[in-house]
Parts: sequence; structure tokens; C-alpha cells
Amino acid sequence: MGTESEIPGAGLQPVFHPTDEDIEKWMSRAFEMAQDALQNGEVPVGCLLVHGGQVVGQGRNQVNQTRNATRHAEMVALDQLLEWCRHGNVDPHSVCLRTVLYVTVEPCVMCAAALRLLNIPVVVYGCGNERFGGCGSVLDVSSAQLPHTGTAFKCVAGYRAQEAVEMLKAFYKQENPNAPKPKTRKD
Amino acid sequence: MEPQPKRRKESMENDDADSWVALPVLSDQQSRDTELVPAFAAPITDKKETSRLIKELHSLYPLAGLPHIKRVRPRGGGDGGGGPHSLEVLVCLVSDAPDVDPRGDSFAIGSLLPSGGGGVRPDGLGPPFLVKVPACPPLTRPQFQVASKHWPTAFHEDKRVTVALRGELFSRPQKARMQGYMEAALEAARAGGGGGGGGGAGAAMVDPKAERIVAVGHDCRGENPLHHAVMVCIDLVARGQGGGAYRFDKYPACTSASPPAGSSSSDPKPAPKTSQTAAESAEEGQPYICTGYDLYVTREPCVMCAMALVHSRIGRVFYGAAAPDGALGTKYKIHTQRDLNHRFEVFKGVLGQQCRDLNGCEDKPVTEH
Repeated sequence: MGTESEIPGAGLQPVFHPTDEDIEKWMSRAFEMAQDALQNGEVPVGCLLVHGGQVVGQGRNQVNQTRNATRHAEMVALDQLLEWCRHGNVDPHSVCLRTVLYVTVEPCVMCAAALRLLNIPVVVYGCGNERFGGCGSVLDVSSAQLPHTGTAFKCVAGYRAQEAVEMLKAFYKQENPNAPKPKTRKD
Repeated sequence: MEPQPKRRKESMENDDADSWVALPVLSDQQSRDTELVPAFAAPITDKKETSRLIKELHSLYPLAGLPHIKRVRPRGGGDGGGGPHSLEVLVCLVSDAPDVDPRGDSFAIGSLLPSGGGGVRPDGLGPPFLVKVPACPPLTRPQFQVASKHWPTAFHEDKRVTVALRGELFSRPQKARMQGYMEAALEAARAGGGGGGGGGAGAAMVDPKAERIVAVGHDCRGENPLHHAVMVCIDLVARGQGGGAYRFDKYPACTSASPPAGSSSSDPKPAPKTSQTAAESAEEGQPYICTGYDLYVTREPCVMCAMALVHSRIGRVFYGAAAPDGALGTKYKIHTQRDLNHRFEVFKGVLGQQCRDLNGCEDKPVTEH
């Protein structure tokens, strides 16, 4: 069983689609990662890049560790995928075209654009991301007409969404010691 | 090692900084065309009735949602008498009088009022006529000038925006510095070559308070398609602050400078250690990600890079040339996005021609890989 289901004629479909079993299996893994992150005081987001039934990238937020605010879990996982390709001497483009991202929270605008740039075709996520979401919450980068920014991708949203929201709430209740003092929002 | 802008031969020719103008990239609300809504106005034929008519009309037709619209205007010439100081009053929007066909060529004042007048005594009002009034309050002087041609509106001017739109926000010495920073970005772009796809971009991160370049980077997409110049620059800044996720050592034109000890206070402090939290750094006046920094980048950032700058809490962004999928003006204006927790100013056109020349000719599509 894998994400590359060998349905006759599948090659004619614009994107391949993970099965319900795939979603259940990999999202459980993603949720375990998020739970682990939460218990370690990190942003509770879990994410996996799965290619041919194999995890080729997984990440957790490394913003504080690297002092680089772009080190979201997805960006870390995408780097791992590229490293996996380099190591195995396989073409990243052909790998990305058959890779699914499973993530507990909607990717942010930046990560959504990065996923496009690498031509990841399908993203399965739990809850929406009202603050930064790039798959419709703030902007819809996933489906926008951006001919010079890779390819649009398909989203499968809402899997165990409530659970993902609760984890985020639990995290944001604790104060982030690394954030600067918030300024009052001007309108 | 601290990168410094190098003077190149071709830039010397434009040293006076008169060859380019940095224009602000404003929000859609600030830059959109003036939207108009049709309305009925009527001349005031008896000036003594003016205040009564305004009061009664306002009470019947308060023009809710158009608080910027002035109720009366000086008569805009034309016939019908009335003298040089006569006025015209806005009666109602066309949508307020659904039974009146606005395509007609004459209207009776009675047809614009409910039967019985609705509290408006039409004495002193001449025959109504069609006008178009601005639907939104003007936010910039150009919008105000267009709006005023149709009907007078209130205008709360942001003088800084007005000056910026005239291209006069930056003084000559400021422009000379800005040019130096963009030249450093151009230099990096050239050193980076194509960067693995299309004309490569270059970027320079600047601490404007200290007037110094803290990092310079260029596209390194050959190795990682996500290593756009801006992403490289952000990580170089992180490295300069004791963090960083990558090493760009093999690219001599990608450099970062550690913050000088005691840069923000009189007594010297040791360079930040990796173990020190960002909050501690901020309290000690040490830099926190890109807070307060200016980014100079040859080409308008893509969506990924623009949002990376939001996350990095960039101070301002200056770019040379627009990009077809650009996210700071062309396709999106991420820096003005209301839902996001950080907004910043963006200016375009710094050494615009030189930045466009980087991509060969302007018509050549820029491949974002």
C-alpha cells in the first residue's frame, strides 16, 4: 500500500490522490509529532513528506534554534526531501511530483509558495491557520494563478481539525519567550 | 568580514542618483481608481433656504456609508442662472430613488421625494440632474484630485504619502546611500550568475540606524530551488546573530557581518551566543531576526520570500524591478495585508534600470525556477 496507487489510467489524472488509509496512517504520525513538539515547548505542528509509502522528509519548527523565522516545519521537511534526493541520486522534480505533504496545520503563505515552487501536488492538513494560512485562510496561494511560482496544489483539509486547534491553543496560552513585546495593532 | 558596496564603472555614471526614483508601493485602497456612484443633485435657487434644505435632505437621505461626501458644492458653471456664488446640493443617490429612471433627461424634484415630501420642503431647489460622486474616501492626493473633479469630499491627507508619491521622500544623501546598498545587491547578483534559473537576483540587508550592510546574498537555486536571494539573506542574518540553518561558504559573494559589540549602547557587549534567547538579545539591544532592518533586493520578492520577510519582521523593503509573480505590488501586496501581524513599507525603482538589465531585456520572462 502506498500513495502511488496503481489505478489503471492514473497517469491521465492531473494529480494523484492519497487513499483514506494513507491519510489516517500518516496524519496519525503527524499528530504524534505535534504532540511531542507541544510537550517540548515547541510550536505544535507535525509534518511529513511521503513518497511511495516512504517518509522522505519530516520536520519540526526550528525558528528559535536557528534564529531564522523561516524555519517552519514544512521548510525543514522540504530540505530533507531535497537531501534525500541528493543522497539517493534521484531527480527531485520527479520525486516531488509524487509526494504528499501531511501536516497538522494549514501551511502558511510562505510554506504554501515553497510547496508550489517544488511542485508538491497534494497537501493534507488538519486545521486552518487564521494567522498565516496560505491555502485560503489569509491568501489562497495553493490555487492562485501564479505561472512563475511552480504549480498549484490540491488541499485535503479538516482531518482531526479540532484536535489540531486544541494543541495550538494550548501552545499559545503559554507565552512565547522569544517573541518581541507585541505592539498594539494600528488600523 | 563586512561586505561593502563596491563602486562599479557603470554605476559611476549615475552617481548623482538622479537616474532613478523610489516610489512607494501602496495598498490597494490607497492606489485604486476612484469608484463613482450615480446620484441626483439640484441647484439651490434661493440661497436663504440652504441650511434648511441641507438639514431636511440630510434627515431624509443621510447618505449612509458616504461620510466623506460634502453635501453641497459651489455651482460648477453651466446655465440656469443662479449667479456666481450659487450652490448645488446632493439630494440622494440614484439607488435611494428606485422608481426614477436615471436615463431620463429631466427629473422633477417631487419624484425624488416620498409623497408628502418626507419632511423636505422643496422651496428653493431647482430641477435635479445626475452627478457621480466618489464611493470611497480619497486616501492619497492623486485620489483626492480625481475625486474632486466629480464631487467635493473630505480628505485627511497623509503628508508623508503625498511626498513619497512625488518621489521626494528621500534626500540626496539618503539616495546616495540607498544606491550604494542596491549596488551591493547588484554586485552579488552578478557574482551569483544565473543561480540555476533565469537571471539571478541579489539582496543586501541593511541596518539603517548604523548605516551598515549586515548581509549580502544571491540566488543559490542550483543547489536548493528554495534558496532565493532573499531567503539566503535572511539565513545569513541569522548566522550573523549566532544562528543560521545553512552554510553558504562556497559562495564568496554571500556574506554576513556579526553585529559589532556594543553597537546599540555605549558599553561594549560580547557577541551573542547561540544559547542566549532572542528575547534576551532584544532586551540587551541586540538585533532580533530582521527587526528594523531594510532589505535591498534587485527584483520584487516572490510570495515565499515576501512572507519570509513578514515572519522576519523586516523594517522596509526596496526593490529595483517588478517581477511577474511578485508579492510586494504585482500579484499581491503582502506588506499591506490586514490579516497579517506585521506590515511594512515597500519602495520600488531603486536603480530600476540596472536591476531590469540584470534579467537581460525587460520582456524576457523571469523564471522563478
